[in-house]
Amino acid sequence: MAKTYDYLFKLLLIGDSGVGKTSILFRFSEDAFNISFISTIGIDFKIRTIDLDGKKVKLQIWDTAGQERFRTITTAYYRGSMGIMLVYDVTNEKSFENIKNWIRNIEENASADVEKMILGNKCDLDAKRQVSKERGEQLAVEYQIKFVETSAKDSLNVEYAFYTLARDIKAKMEKKQEASNPAGARSGTHQLRDERPKPTSWLSRCSVL
Amino acid sequence: MSCSSVEDLPEQCKDLFTQDGVLLKASLGRPISDLNSIGMLCIVQNMDGSKCIEWRPNDLITIDSDTQDQEWAVVNTIGRRQRTLSGNMTSDYEAARARIIRIPLDELKSFKVSRNNQQMQFSTKQGVWQNTCYFQHGNAEIFLSYLKNHVKTAKTRHDRNTYVVVEPNAECQVLNKSFAELDIFTENTTDVVWNLVSNFKQRPYETTMEAFSKLTDIVYYGEGVNGKREMSDEVADLLTKSMSALEDTTSITRSEEYEVINVKPTLPPRPSIPREALNSRGTPLSTEKWDGLQDPEGRITEVEGVKQLIFRGGVAHSIYFQHPVWVKNIFERIAPFMFKVEGTPLSTEKWDGLQDPEGRITEVEGVKQLIFRGGVAHSIRHSVWKYLLDYYPWKMTKTELKSLHKKRTEEYFSMKLQWRSMTEGQELRFSEYRDRKSLVEKDVNRTDRTHPFFAGDNNPNLIVLQDILMTYVMYNFDLGYVQGMSDILAPLLLLLGNEVDSFWCFVGFMEKISSNFDMDQAGMKQQLLNLQQLMAFITPDLAKHLASKDSGNMYFCFRWLLVWFKREFSHRDIMRLWEVLWTGLPCANFHLLICVAILDAEKDVLISKDYGFTEVLKHVNDLSMCLDVDIILSTAEGIYHQIVSSPHLSDQIRLILGLPLAPKPEVPEPEPTTFSNGNDRGETEEVTLEYNGHEISVVTKTVWALLA
Repeated sequence: MAKTYDYLFKLLLIGDSGVGKTSILFRFSEDAFNISFISTIGIDFKIRTIDLDGKKVKLQIWDTAGQERFRTITTAYYRGSMGIMLVYDVTNEKSFENIKNWIRNIEENASADVEKMILGNKCDLDAKRQVSKERGEQLAVEYQIKFVETSAKDSLNVEYAFYTLARDIKAKMEKKQEASNPAGARSGTHQLRDERPKPTSWLSRCSVL
Repeated sequence: MSCSSVEDLPEQCKDLFTQDGVLLKASLGRPISDLNSIGMLCIVQNMDGSKCIEWRPNDLITIDSDTQDQEWAVVNTIGRRQRTLSGNMTSDYEAARARIIRIPLDELKSFKVSRNNQQMQFSTKQGVWQNTCYFQHGNAEIFLSYLKNHVKTAKTRHDRNTYVVVEPNAECQVLNKSFAELDIFTENTTDVVWNLVSNFKQRPYETTMEAFSKLTDIVYYGEGVNGKREMSDEVADLLTKSMSALEDTTSITRSEEYEVINVKPTLPPRPSIPREALNSRGTPLSTEKWDGLQDPEGRITEVEGVKQLIFRGGVAHSIYFQHPVWVKNIFERIAPFMFKVEGTPLSTEKWDGLQDPEGRITEVEGVKQLIFRGGVAHSIRHSVWKYLLDYYPWKMTKTELKSLHKKRTEEYFSMKLQWRSMTEGQELRFSEYRDRKSLVEKDVNRTDRTHPFFAGDNNPNLIVLQDILMTYVMYNFDLGYVQGMSDILAPLLLLLGNEVDSFWCFVGFMEKISSNFDMDQAGMKQQLLNLQQLMAFITPDLAKHLASKDSGNMYFCFRWLLVWFKREFSHRDIMRLWEVLWTGLPCANFHLLICVAILDAEKDVLISKDYGFTEVLKHVNDLSMCLDVDIILSTAEGIYHQIVSSPHLSDQIRLILGLPLAPKPEVPEPEPTTFSNGNDRGETEEVTLEYNGHEISVVTKTVWALLA
């Protein structure tokens, strides 16, 4: 049977319990939001195939239980993942502080060159916000990881986040391929686009003025 | 700056579920210009608690569709979901708001899913589809499943994709009244009744059977019954169907009106075994027949005849336990679950009869056997569970129990006071406590919220759930709160309804499974390893397949084990499964054999489709709510008997199941055509097991007397 995709990327969602990992995944895979989600026990994944610069990319996105106690089990699933979303909840200071621990956790358990991205979720709940967008950006600069605030509920930046991460992985992969096979270097058709977060109005929508 | 535009609407309502990418294809009374636009389909709760389906056009929240998104436009035609506030919010916005479509759920009459999950139609008037929505992602089934959480529905006779809303209000009042009159429940709360109503919906047959004898009178001879009943009278109709199915068990009573009834009463289909065999089964092979089949030397000549008999009706218990080796031979030929011996639930009468005049229960093992066989009748669960969960000691008199209850109540409230009296300042300086509290809060808010008992905002049961879990943190601060505990507690609270009782039963349950929540997860890892060893022994081909697919560690069973299958079954089924497991019969770690039984049933799929690491996990996760508790229990029991009658049993397996280590003297396999009588080999009538340091006689005369 012919493959229905050009690439398969394994992505992983990690972060404290209750930051909205499952909601983000549900938003991305089903474009829906459910107010009464249940906590994730163990591990699960969802699939969505996207078109990325003319290539069909199948994203296999793994959703993990957030509580620290289960890490010994969940880290077993880090292996082979090519991109990791580190999620915190902008209304929960602790979940933000823990991002550093999660990064350490990745360093110990995932491959060294895994692509990462930090997501500050629940940015629709402005009244309850405890972590400013600036602090999120600062952390991202510190670790040289891309960052975006998201809202799974309002479908804000969720698409953007996954596309960006997928794009980065694809770029890295193609770079490797070209390096190993310079004769077959591609023409300019698949040149990478500017990867900076787009400075559009919808990005700044959640900033506190 | 406010960041969400939907919240800016004057109507203070809450989105319970939202589905984007929904096109409004047709809507009666709307200008054509309003149609064919993309929007969001929601289930919304209004301020007054009423709910409605709402479709909102996307341009209510203006979309940036031009410049910024171009490179993705190619990629994903439905990708333009980003909404901004950059558009002007004046006249366009007002116009868009006027285009919102609202269908109050109490006016919704029917709905229909068609075109391969791409289309949904709604009707508030018989025979007219007022609104048609097109799901761009082709995932209408997701919306459907959430909608079904909020309205009671029945499928229609003509079209299996059309659902008729069973009017909630009037109907339920009548039902509540009927149930109250029937006095089925010891605690006649609305929640219990609701639980039953929802069970009717989910598992009509079983639920019906439970209330059957009492309800018969009401349905057939009660007031207001004249001729044909209303289509919307779902429960009564289900009863009628079930009854006609019962009256003629051999004929296949098919009803297209309610799909659920299409499932035959006793067992759902299982590929290799013809189910008719169980339905039309004869009487079990009895001891008398068995004796008559042997020649004077104890040989059995009519082997095929015996097999036929067993295939029809199974084996009587007495033979079953006397001839483990012989039974094993048959196991290899006929599926294990043919040996299922059906029991009836422990009834009120039996339970009352088991207590001595002072209220002590002396025949503990007998009671456990009965429960293991047939579960507990729902009406006495609240009482029996307290014993099974070691809250009430079996041998205590009623007077002693009364004072114990008083003592435990005081104890509970003093522990509750410990955390309730903590000041804000204390909390601020007590991060470990704070973390636990926040975890509990998060999980309570997402525990079984679709169940009527826990649904809705400010549901008082959620506060009780939280209070118990917080008090447990004080009871066992080292363990604290771990995810999964709220899942364990919810069915206990749902059944017992009482805070103190639920707490102590929860404590008892946690005693049994506390190693699941070890900080280092050693308990879970040990169980996964044990499961792997059992698999290798019982289904070596599947174990081999899993090992070759990097799944040998059995991590995909993690959820099953952590919360004892809570996420895999409905509340009703989990109660049945748990009470069987609490008996500790027939061996230690029987829950691992439940895992083996489930996986064994999936073996063909997993191997023939050559499922790999990810597919195995997906397949196993997707089994949730698709499992039949009775089949699984009997298969697991069959596997247990397979194991104990195996002549070559490693100490490893014995240790896992708590079987005695000393190997019995080798018994030569009987000739295929000759079955010797088990008594010749000195088999005892009792199989003695060791579990938790106690010796358990599995087969006692008392038990047989009770079963008879």
